Amino acid sequence: MREKLQRFPALRAWLLLLPATFWLIVFFMAPLVIVLVYSFLERGTYGGVVWNFTFENFQRVFDMLYFSTFLRSIYIALLTTIITLLIGYPLAYFIATRPPERRYTLVLALMIPFWTNFLIRTYAWLTLLRTNTGLINTMLMSWGIIHEPLPLFGNDFAIVLGLVYGWLPDMVLPIYAALDRLDFGLTEAAGDLYASGFPTFRRVIWPLSIPGVVAGAMLVFIPSLGAFVAPAILGGGKSLMIGNIISNQFLAAHDWPFGAALSTLMMTFMLAGTLIYFRAAKRGDAQ
Amino acid sequence: MIDGFAVELRQVVKKFGQVTAVDKVDLQIRDGEFFSMLGPSGCGKTTSLRMIAGFEMPTSGQVFIGGEPQGYLPPYQRPVNTVFQHYALFPHMSVYQNIAFGMEMQKVDKNEIQQRVGETLEMVHLSGMDNRRPKQLSGGQQQRVALARALVNRPKVLLLDEPLGALDLKLRKAMQVELKILQDQVGITFIYVTHDQEEALAMSDRIAVMNQGKVHQLGTPEEIYEAPANRFVADFIGESNFVPGVMQKMGPPAEISVTGTEQPIAVEWLEDGINAGDAVVVSVRPEKIRIHPMGQAPTYPAMCRLSGQVEKVIYLGTDTRYLVRLNEESAVVVRLQNIISGGGHFNEGEKVDIRWDSAHARVFKE
Repeated sequence: MREKLQRFPALRAWLLLLPATFWLIVFFMAPLVIVLVYSFLERGTYGGVVWNFTFENFQRVFDMLYFSTFLRSIYIALLTTIITLLIGYPLAYFIATRPPERRYTLVLALMIPFWTNFLIRTYAWLTLLRTNTGLINTMLMSWGIIHEPLPLFGNDFAIVLGLVYGWLPDMVLPIYAALDRLDFGLTEAAGDLYASGFPTFRRVIWPLSIPGVVAGAMLVFIPSLGAFVAPAILGGGKSLMIGNIISNQFLAAHDWPFGAALSTLMMTFMLAGTLIYFRAAKRGDAQ
Repeated sequence: MIDGFAVELRQVVKKFGQVTAVDKVDLQIRDGEFFSMLGPSGCGKTTSLRMIAGFEMPTSGQVFIGGEPQGYLPPYQRPVNTVFQHYALFPHMSVYQNIAFGMEMQKVDKNEIQQRVGETLEMVHLSGMDNRRPKQLSGGQQQRVALARALVNRPKVLLLDEPLGALDLKLRKAMQVELKILQDQVGITFIYVTHDQEEALAMSDRIAVMNQGKVHQLGTPEEIYEAPANRFVADFIGESNFVPGVMQKMGPPAEISVTGTEQPIAVEWLEDGINAGDAVVVSVRPEKIRIHPMGQAPTYPAMCRLSGQVEKVIYLGTDTRYLVRLNEESAVVVRLQNIISGGGHFNEGEKVDIRWDSAHARVFKE
């Protein structure tokens, strides 16, 4: 056996890959195929599926009722991505320009809140934002700054806030990694060549940090699109995203095939986004 | 230009926290000069250069460029350009875009940019490389792009921060010649920072030798090599012997008794502040010393003579180095050119006399 392994190094490589291959096929590929197959079947009365092939689920997906939620989810995910970028980029820049020993402390500080469960943190936001009993509204009203509670809860604002909060580190870390690699001697060179602060940023720092920005945007956009905890809690059950509808199809409406069809549509959309990302990354490498 | 100096530093001090990097430096750099700041790392040469460029602001004192006080002007408002040690080329831009960058920032007309980039590329022998990325160039080519990117802006002064440091020896020697030719061609003042004394000697019109934030000597390469102002300069530039002794007589002629010998030797030049009875060192360059078989050295006036024994002979091709031990405490290196092939005129263990012209000896404080 040993002799065989020594004679065929490729065989050894394949043996090493075996556990990962097994894992991917059984726990990743198989569920994906099941979702795909279910999306073409009919619903069973109490959940499950009836094995009759149909396109009906995909026709329903484009029903305005669901499709508009889908579009709204894209809008909320985009908004979340843009806002995390606007907050995250300066933060990443700030961290990357500190002395090295301070950087690690700051990165750690950024991560610490995320050692707590996302659900619990989202409930914490609930106590802050709730319309009548939320901390922010009660304080502002008791100080007499406002007389009516602000609409902080049960709307898109609350959802986006929760998502931005949740995914901010996923935006900051890749940008930080890109800026950390950036030679700040280049900004001096730009200054020496008559570029003041903004042109230096636009012509030198920004282009060199784009790979980090793209990675961060993907890492924020994809989970935001499929989010269901933040909209379920902070959206107050009124403001829904596609993730909530999918979980409802499986858990409440017992319409597995339709849930599967919605999932398939979303995955297709995300796959397209990821392909665009890899193409952009490849172009970045070519430079 | 009011005072005729391209760059002037007046009483410039730079402190980083408790550390004084540059300590009350006065420098006057003439228009069109190839001026070097030379010293070991941490001597304040790079900090001085960065204060001229505007990357650092002086703690006190003033930097003048073309007679104009620079105050706290940022780099992009100063009429100088820099060639950085590691080139700092923009990796995401082509050679053309790198070189055009400064002119674009100054809103130079597009056609003029194109023309000037072309001319400058030709000047640094990189024509046709316009579309390459820095990564696709060799170290020497990157160096030329860095040079072109600075020169194309026609600055009043070009600042060069150890620009050849990253190149291998052969390429460095070639670039030294090329830089010198280029400077004659463009007529721009070059301020050149280096820790390589040979490089500074080979290229400069004048050199400021710096150590611990101070200028120790300012002069032409010849002045600095032949007449070092203090022990640091004598030690840092080229090779020097330091023979310890005691100041015997202030003169003229001044006399020193070399430790371990009886006969005093005559010296002509003394560092300021030396008094009779002080411990001193006599500094002589190895190639200024002659070596003779014991008792055969000719006697001239103004010749200093010491006896010793050859301890080590090292053959170096163009010349041979002899380590001659005078006594237990001191030994002297003598360098003889190998004019006749075969080298070894003296053997290890041989008793010899060495002599030098007293004009070639410098006496420094111990």
